[in-house]
Amino acid sequence: MISRARRGRRMLRIAAAWCVAVIWAFPLLYMLLTSFKAEADAVPPTLWLAHPTLQNYGVVLQQQILRYLEDSGIISLATVAICIFVGVPTSYVIVFGRLKRADNLFFWFLSTTLLPPVAMIIPVFLLFRVLGLLDTLGGMILIFSGVNIPIVIWMIRAFLLDVPREILESADLDGASRLRSFFSTIVPLCRQGIVSIGLLVFIFVWNEFFFSINLTYVNAAPVPVYMASFMTQEGLFWAKLSAISTLVILPPSILGWFAQRSLVKGLTAGSVKG
Amino acid sequence: MHELNRPRSRLLTLPAIVIVAVITQAPILVTIGLSLVQWIVVRPDLGVTFVGLNNYFDILITRDFYSVVLNTALITLASLAACTVLGILFGLMLNQDFRGVSIVRTLVISPFFVMDAVAGIIWRTMMLNSSFGFNESFASLLGIKPVDFFGVYSLLTIIILIVWQWTPFFVLIMLAGFRSISVEIADSARVDGAGWWRELLSIRLPIIMNHIEVAILLGMIFVLKVFGLIYVTTRGGPGYSSANLPFYVFRLAFLGWNVGHAAALAVVTVGITLVAIFFLFRWFRRRFAEASS
Repeated sequence: MISRARRGRRMLRIAAAWCVAVIWAFPLLYMLLTSFKAEADAVPPTLWLAHPTLQNYGVVLQQQILRYLEDSGIISLATVAICIFVGVPTSYVIVFGRLKRADNLFFWFLSTTLLPPVAMIIPVFLLFRVLGLLDTLGGMILIFSGVNIPIVIWMIRAFLLDVPREILESADLDGASRLRSFFSTIVPLCRQGIVSIGLLVFIFVWNEFFFSINLTYVNAAPVPVYMASFMTQEGLFWAKLSAISTLVILPPSILGWFAQRSLVKGLTAGSVKG
Repeated sequence: MHELNRPRSRLLTLPAIVIVAVITQAPILVTIGLSLVQWIVVRPDLGVTFVGLNNYFDILITRDFYSVVLNTALITLASLAACTVLGILFGLMLNQDFRGVSIVRTLVISPFFVMDAVAGIIWRTMMLNSSFGFNESFASLLGIKPVDFFGVYSLLTIIILIVWQWTPFFVLIMLAGFRSISVEIADSARVDGAGWWRELLSIRLPIIMNHIEVAILLGMIFVLKVFGLIYVTTRGGPGYSSANLPFYVFRLAFLGWNVGHAAALAVVTVGITLVAIFFLFRWFRRRFAEASS
């Protein structure tokens, strides 16, 4: 009797979990569904897929979206490369170096992530205009690197603190130089962390809106800028809108699925136990 | 002890320091400078003149400023409260073992990786549009008028969207917290005959209090910066009814082209942000120091 009641409750909890999940993801699931509808069936909303079609994807891929996807891809990848290349060694020195003010340096980096981007936008805009960096890929890569390097330093620290000191000491006894031990010991041991943090930076940059909308127009505009203008111009073509939205959220969604564990570890390590 | 004692290793930190200082710190100093001048880009005839603290006075006497500050506070408090409660509930829900739990988790977390622009578009069109969206379908089903999400309730709409996007982040952190509770602790509570609610309130939540605090702190940092969702959905309107501080700065700077006012407001925004974070940050720093020692 007891076990049956318990099993009933368990089934109920599982059913509730599924319901909550489907409701929470409903806007996305519905968007996915609409992307396969003919434009005429998209309004008013129905959960029924009368005439499934791939036509919307064909149509949107012929528009300028490819150029924006390319811009977003270049900006994101270059930013990831710079952030990892600059951020990981810095964090390494902060954790293992005998710096006098390592903690202060770390908290300085940390504090820059607290400041609202609006505090920098006006000077950055003016400076970019003078230097001819407005609406260029280089300008966007530069600004995103500045914003994301502290995040890399912050998050990789959690992984560096996990590296067993004995391994590093034995590397020392072997006479490996510090730089060598960085590449031969630290990088392989933190590979998972480095990769996931790279993925996260990619997602942050791919999705970033504020700097993108204010510092680009046409030549270096990434996907979010395109989406905002698409919304204004063709906001009533829901099937096309859905297809294009699905396409642009696919990369970060897939990468995010792989990076979710490290996101939690990187952001919370040091501040929570266990 | 493995330590890098060569001064050369210090050089490795230099690129990061230079890039971050030039990109994020120097502009803030310039912003402070700009907040002291009158400079309206679309009125070149007025030139650029030093006006002291006048820009601050100009802002502080407008009613818009106070309604925007109030909006920012409401958005932050309401969404953090909702995210925390939902994060704990969903975290508990996902902390069970059943077939398909990873699919359930993926569904719940998915909004977090969706860019603001797209999140805003989906909600603005298919979900909440009062003539064509689900909003209208539900209303006609119930025989009522559709809710005016982009008029009277625009601030609520922004909060709903933030909660939708940020609850997954809270869930991830809470889930990590619940996972860290050992089976023995949970079992011993059960042996003591504690009911589910008592066990949750007096054992599990206190254990994950650290996680809850971290989620709230990080959540606050992000929610105070929200911009894209507002830009794509309500544009801060009607009037300034759903604008937060970052959006207000944007309006002054890039629609009004009043550099002095925008810079002064940006400085005030930084001030408010820092005051809001200050007390939490002291705690934050203590935790980090404890854990790394």
